[in-house]
Amino acid sequence: MSFPLRVGILIFLSLLAAAACPFFGLTFIPPESIFIPDHPDSLVFWRLRLPRTAAAFFAGAGLSLGGLVFQALFRNPLATPFTLGVSSGASLGASVYFWLGGVALVKTGSLGPLFSSLAGAAVSVFLVWSITSSRGGLQTAVMLLAGVVVNFFFSSLVLFVQYLSDAHDSLRIMHWLMGSLAGVETARLAELAFVVVMGGVFVFLLSPQMDLLTAGEELAASRGVRLKTLKLSIFVSASVMVGTVVSLAGPIGFVGLMVPHACRLFLGWNHRRLAPAVFFAGGAFLALCDLASRLVLAPAEVPIGIVTALLGGPFFLWILFRTNSAGDLF
Amino acid sequence: MPDDEHTDMSANNPPASSDRWPGDKDAHRGDNDAHRGDKDAPRGDNHAPGGDGAKPVLEADHFSFSIEGKLILDDVSCRIYAGDFVSVIGPNGAGKSTFLKCLLRLQEKGRSEGRIVLDGRDINTYGQKQLARVVSYVPQAGGWIPPFSVRELARLSRFPHVSAVAGLSRDDELAVDKALELAGLGRLAGRSLKTLSGGERQKAYLAAALAQEGRVMLLDEPAAALDPKHAFELAVLLEKLNKEDNLTVIMVTHDLNHPLRTGGLALVLSGGRETYFGPSVELQREGILEAAFDHKFLYLDHPSGPGRLVVA
Repeated sequence: MSFPLRVGILIFLSLLAAAACPFFGLTFIPPESIFIPDHPDSLVFWRLRLPRTAAAFFAGAGLSLGGLVFQALFRNPLATPFTLGVSSGASLGASVYFWLGGVALVKTGSLGPLFSSLAGAAVSVFLVWSITSSRGGLQTAVMLLAGVVVNFFFSSLVLFVQYLSDAHDSLRIMHWLMGSLAGVETARLAELAFVVVMGGVFVFLLSPQMDLLTAGEELAASRGVRLKTLKLSIFVSASVMVGTVVSLAGPIGFVGLMVPHACRLFLGWNHRRLAPAVFFAGGAFLALCDLASRLVLAPAEVPIGIVTALLGGPFFLWILFRTNSAGDLF
Repeated sequence: MPDDEHTDMSANNPPASSDRWPGDKDAHRGDNDAHRGDKDAPRGDNHAPGGDGAKPVLEADHFSFSIEGKLILDDVSCRIYAGDFVSVIGPNGAGKSTFLKCLLRLQEKGRSEGRIVLDGRDINTYGQKQLARVVSYVPQAGGWIPPFSVRELARLSRFPHVSAVAGLSRDDELAVDKALELAGLGRLAGRSLKTLSGGERQKAYLAAALAQEGRVMLLDEPAAALDPKHAFELAVLLEKLNKEDNLTVIMVTHDLNHPLRTGGLALVLSGGRETYFGPSVELQREGILEAAFDHKFLYLDHPSGPGRLVVA
């Protein structure tokens, strides 16, 4: 099967799966009822389930693309926005917001979590970036280590903020940290979609350079890639996408690890093929995870971060044990 | 003049000492054209490039380079003309790879003094893609093996010729085909780099550099991981490209007999300093290699050809 055909089929199946999700839930909504005005099914479909599925779709696409570009940057399948401190930075930002919101009753409107998350993500990116630069050049190994350090540091700070908060705020932070798409408002959905789609286009345009980066930094530079510019573009675009998703839905883990890896198994490393595939497959994957989170303990909901973690843990092990003849991870 | 020396070489009787090519680099820097009559002599052809007024393709002009205060390259000067075949030799840590990387501006950190001039322009005035269109590069083997096929690697190397949005054109694909053909990889084009032997993989990198279609090719120890047969084949291919396509080749090598066999020029680095730059046939004269490597070499007459062989 040729690669364009594979990408086409993957995108088609992803859209089909994502489109099917809003029909399922506590009750099945028959497709014919969604066009009947003021029918309860129609209201549930258009007002609740469709926005939520759309939020899951774009969140999944953003997290997966973030994983894809970080893995290309570090030539490491374990490099994700999480291992690099971006999402713990965003988490810290949002936690501080919730904590201050409780202590000082700060009112910054509904954009508060978004801006505080993005600020947190920006701080972590800035830290990782300056630690790496201070060691001369922008060496990948140093950057990865800096990311791990920042990640641990910020994760401890999140716990510290939680410790300082009263029971109510602490619970809010905890719920948020487990990730949920229940609270994504329709107004915010447009922001999310905009950021993720723009990020996707940007990543697609960078794809030949990411191929070269995958082949090796020195090789990429010798073929005309401006390494610093490319690394900065990748880091910033992925951080904005991930920061936005985290601010709305909490740090949903493992998506950026699983989706790009699975897509690579079918499509190889060509990013021009991978970028669109990862975008749609990631979206569909998180939409399905969201469906699972609504169905497994229905009528109660399992936080979506727990669903992805339950899938991601075994997947992680599978990557580790699935070594090819060359003995490496790809 | 140069012909006299040529005769000397063929007669297996290199002059014990000569003031034409002293180790002192300033002596030969003045007459760049003089060496070019010699350099092709052992190969038995004469494709002396350009006229007397030819400008160098690549020139290091009192170039020094240091990282964190440690001097890696110390006042290196050389002029390389179109069609030259330059072997860069010297002990480990002499700065050979760094020199190559500086020629390509690949060194991310560090401070440099002096200039590298490509086609009459300071290398720092080039855009990254612009530079990649003129200079092709074969990196040192080993380490990370990219998850691509032979053909994909060559296609990626068309990057400097392709706009950001458009894919590869027909001409680009033809250039890739031609490069694979030249490297003798037509049959292996679809194979993943990971499944190739070290020799085949090295050829794949060479094919990728050929697909880049630069006029100058830099190679960092291309034969380091190869068995003698593959190393020989690689050398023959490079000589062919050098002769037939007038490709300027600058190659870091540890095979001291390679420059003796192929002729051309040798740049000897030791401790970051340029200890010799001139015709590589001169390496068979005792003293040049000894000074660079701090080691006593044996020089044996070649049993079937002109010149001598070096044994460590």
